[in-house]
Amino acid sequence: MTEEQNIQTPIIELNGVTKEYSSKKNFLSKGETNIIALNNISLAIQKKEIFGLVGQSGSGKTTIGRLLVKLEEPTKGIIKLNGKPTNKLKGKALKHYRSKVQMIFQDPYQSLNPHLSIAETIIEPLVVNKIGNALTRRDKVLETLEIAGLSPGEDFFHRYPHQLSGGQRQRVAVARAIILDPDFIVADEPTSMLDATIAIQLFQLLLDIRKKFKMTFLFITHNLAAARYLCDRIAVIHNGVIVETGSADKVIKDPQHPYTKKLILAQPGFNFKN
Amino acid sequence: MALLKVENLSVGYKSKKGMVNAVNNISFSIEQGRSLGFVGESGCGKTTIGMTLMGLLPENASILKGDIIFNGNNLASFNDEKWRAFRGKEISMIFQAAMNALNPVIRVDEQIAEVIQIHNPAMSKSDVSNQVKKIFSLVEIPEDRLRDFPHQYSGGMKQRAIIAMALACAPKLIIADEPTTALDVIVQDQILKEIKKIQKALNTSVIFISHDIAVVADVCKDICVMYGGHIVEKGTREEVFKSPRHPYTKTLLGSYLTLDSYEDINVPEIREAPDLITMTGGCRFSANCNCKSQKCQCQTPEWVNLSSTHQALCFEELLNKDKND
Repeated sequence: MTEEQNIQTPIIELNGVTKEYSSKKNFLSKGETNIIALNNISLAIQKKEIFGLVGQSGSGKTTIGRLLVKLEEPTKGIIKLNGKPTNKLKGKALKHYRSKVQMIFQDPYQSLNPHLSIAETIIEPLVVNKIGNALTRRDKVLETLEIAGLSPGEDFFHRYPHQLSGGQRQRVAVARAIILDPDFIVADEPTSMLDATIAIQLFQLLLDIRKKFKMTFLFITHNLAAARYLCDRIAVIHNGVIVETGSADKVIKDPQHPYTKKLILAQPGFNFKN
Repeated sequence: MALLKVENLSVGYKSKKGMVNAVNNISFSIEQGRSLGFVGESGCGKTTIGMTLMGLLPENASILKGDIIFNGNNLASFNDEKWRAFRGKEISMIFQAAMNALNPVIRVDEQIAEVIQIHNPAMSKSDVSNQVKKIFSLVEIPEDRLRDFPHQYSGGMKQRAIIAMALACAPKLIIADEPTTALDVIVQDQILKEIKKIQKALNTSVIFISHDIAVVADVCKDICVMYGGHIVEKGTREEVFKSPRHPYTKTLLGSYLTLDSYEDINVPEIREAPDLITMTGGCRFSANCNCKSQKCQCQTPEWVNLSSTHQALCFEELLNKDKND
């Protein structure tokens, strides 16, 4: 990272964020037990950065994603967007925040509404935020489809999700995420359902979008190889605590924390020893 | 003699547009105690092979031609009754989504016991329960979790229970269809070690199906690479992964991210899925292949022997041309 970027306000900043889930009282278990999903998480993501969050199932990585898109509120701590605290946003301010922070979900077979055509799916954010009129919206959708690699856009405009392959669906999800020109995108395991050849194409698309729009990403994954390919910096999260942060190269070449080492060892490779 | 020998097998699905040739003229064999891996992308026919070997094809699917010889029996001619006695006992399957493969309202040990009771009706209750305990210790599930319901298990434990179910009757062949796809890397690593350990201990043959080539490379000694219903390359894992010859195998390997390979990754062009309905007779990979040869589009490629164990389905001159580049 350059000096200049260091002085800039980070796009997203988490300051001592803790998230607890309480399992509610019921007639079987008396008393409340709190599950600490995230414990005192602090991290800052700079503009144009792809920041990787790596950990295994249940480590809390998806909870961070959900907090960032305001599907949940943190129990403690502050989340800042462009230096402004965003806790307990309501009404117009919340709507504005959600137009600035978008999400690409894991499973493109569930994240697209089967009743909406591709055009309707991608146009919806524009309609909700009252941007443009019918004509400009159509042009914007076509343009976005092309950027997402669904070319020519007219071919996909009136199709429905079931007519698309997994890779194409995920491109629709990408188009929907970028159409509002957000500041920040959370990508939660966007390729875990896709084949290797298709996954690598999607990674390329994310890199292109970063370059073209100076977009900032949080990339959530359990695949270290993917994180190394895509990310500038990586944070390794384990049981709700960030155990190691650093440049992608450094974390993988020279891991410090025993958990990071364990993750790297578990990564399948092509060394035939047995 | 090989435990399982599949010869010129074709399987098709009836659809409105015509017969979809999901598996086309494939042959392979597996010896007792060996492991064979099938790799390929979604829709290449690898799961169809697994379902055919288990006699679990859906109603609109049928074996169009070919023989499946298992221990002297031709499975291709089995009826439902024969399958029921055979399935689970001689060949069993580890299914993809462990969370959906267990019955949520029956305790785990009862689900495993059911398999044993059905195939050994004469076995006493205490013998069955001893057998269940033995299998659970083999897959390393602690004995005090035997009476749990599936929802009390973690993802990895559910997958272990599914493996236990597959092992219940000590089958000669286990088909593992993407057994680790839904798991994270650490649990995946444990399950793969488990499968290898059990295979060694019981001398079971394993057919391992996955889209994740590194996982297959980890478990299997022999590899078949599939594309569009054809096996396009087969050989030992060293041959296929260290010196791949078929253009598709190269594409697949070239786009696979590992911790070491991330710098020289080839991003393939956006590709069309192969048309499995119209049979042009040409190579199914020709539309996406770099060779751009006219011959591939109209002539059926043949097996080229590269070593006594290594073969590729391509034209010899194209394989050699590629080598000289």
